[in-house]
Amino acid sequence: MDFQLRQQGRAATAFLSDLAVASARLRAKVDADLAARGLDQQTLADDLDERLRQVDAALADSRANRALAILGEWSGVSHGRIGQAAFDEIRPELEPKLRELQSKGPATLEVRLGERLPEYQTRAWIHRTTGGWDGHPYQGFVHGELIHREYVSRNYPGDIFAQRREVLGLLPRRDYRRILEFGTSSGHYTMQIQKVFPEAEIWGCDLSLRMLEQAQRVANENGWAWKLFQLAAEDTGFESSSFDLVTSYIVLHEIPAEVTRAQMREAFRLLRPGGDMLFTDVTPYRALDKVAVRWAEYTAVHGGEPFWRSAATLDLAQAARDAGFVDVRSEGFKGAKYPWVTYGHKPG
Amino acid sequence: MATSPGNPRLGFLGLTPNDTAVRSDPVAQLALLLAKELWVLKDRQLVLEAVLSQNGIPVRDLVERWQPSAAEREAIDAARRQFTAEVVAALEGPGDRR
Repeated sequence: MDFQLRQQGRAATAFLSDLAVASARLRAKVDADLAARGLDQQTLADDLDERLRQVDAALADSRANRALAILGEWSGVSHGRIGQAAFDEIRPELEPKLRELQSKGPATLEVRLGERLPEYQTRAWIHRTTGGWDGHPYQGFVHGELIHREYVSRNYPGDIFAQRREVLGLLPRRDYRRILEFGTSSGHYTMQIQKVFPEAEIWGCDLSLRMLEQAQRVANENGWAWKLFQLAAEDTGFESSSFDLVTSYIVLHEIPAEVTRAQMREAFRLLRPGGDMLFTDVTPYRALDKVAVRWAEYTAVHGGEPFWRSAATLDLAQAARDAGFVDVRSEGFKGAKYPWVTYGHKPG
Repeated sequence: MATSPGNPRLGFLGLTPNDTAVRSDPVAQLALLLAKELWVLKDRQLVLEAVLSQNGIPVRDLVERWQPSAAEREAIDAARRQFTAEVVAALEGPGDRR
């Protein structure tokens, strides 16, 4: 989607991104401070909450840790405001185009829930982004095009968009006729599904209407006939045995574990016999050492990820088997620890 | 950050007092806000210099080589003295004005 930020928005978003990149090196100093205070794999507590208290006390006089906290706090609180302010500068010239992209084209968007959202969606501002998923009339654009592409993508290892495409290569078939995505958001994963399976009919659902509106614009701009629904993936109301693939990317840590289990069951119900499920998410804690889990918790708590721990401690393979899937695999992609893919097959 | 009584994850903030204290320091957060605004202004000045240069006014070089007249020097000095006085007054606080 072509757009050009004004000077203030461009400079502020660039500052935010560069600040985060520059801050990342502080983590090595914090780890060194931890080690200097005698905390390592052997001495860190097994209990996670106790470990967090242990680290907090040990790092009370760590200059690197204080700096990291100050910088992280500011980025956490400010990134949404900066993104929205950058958008508002160009809103007058961009709004007609966004409205046209939403109204003209082959993609459809059906609102099923409106504001009747589950409590887990509204209890906190996810990622600490000001207003949460729906906190601005064009939050889908702000989150998808400004925050995710300009800020998040620069602060995660590797090409996060290429990863979305590459995990689809794990699937055993290329002849899926109808694909359903849980947690479509603004369509970053949906675009990759479209490219890998160009002949398939693509359906997507999400709780956030603002995010789905942006997905619809993306689809219309490219002439893609996505069928989008604002509803809860754990209770779609769609016909049983009507899809060949149900998939999601980096969604599970945004929802409680019991909802993930429900989504597994719903995916199984929706799949035709012989269909496949592929859910990709964050690294389970069992695959990380104590220091890495401490960092994951730190990032999650201060990054506005209220369900990260429950997601990272859920046995996804067992949840998939409990839902009825067979040939289940749950493992790091290509031997790495991130992203983490969980696959299951519905018996034919 | 939004809080959630039913969510033990957000409760972590209450479990780590040192970290929470650092994050609650308004002066540190204000310093970063001002740093952002300073960068936006620096960026704007660089853009302004580039735009003027592209339109035949090499403003960067002109500014670097500019020397004030006596009147201009006095005006700048007076403005700087007022600014530094305001900084000091802000640090003094009202309790020192007796």
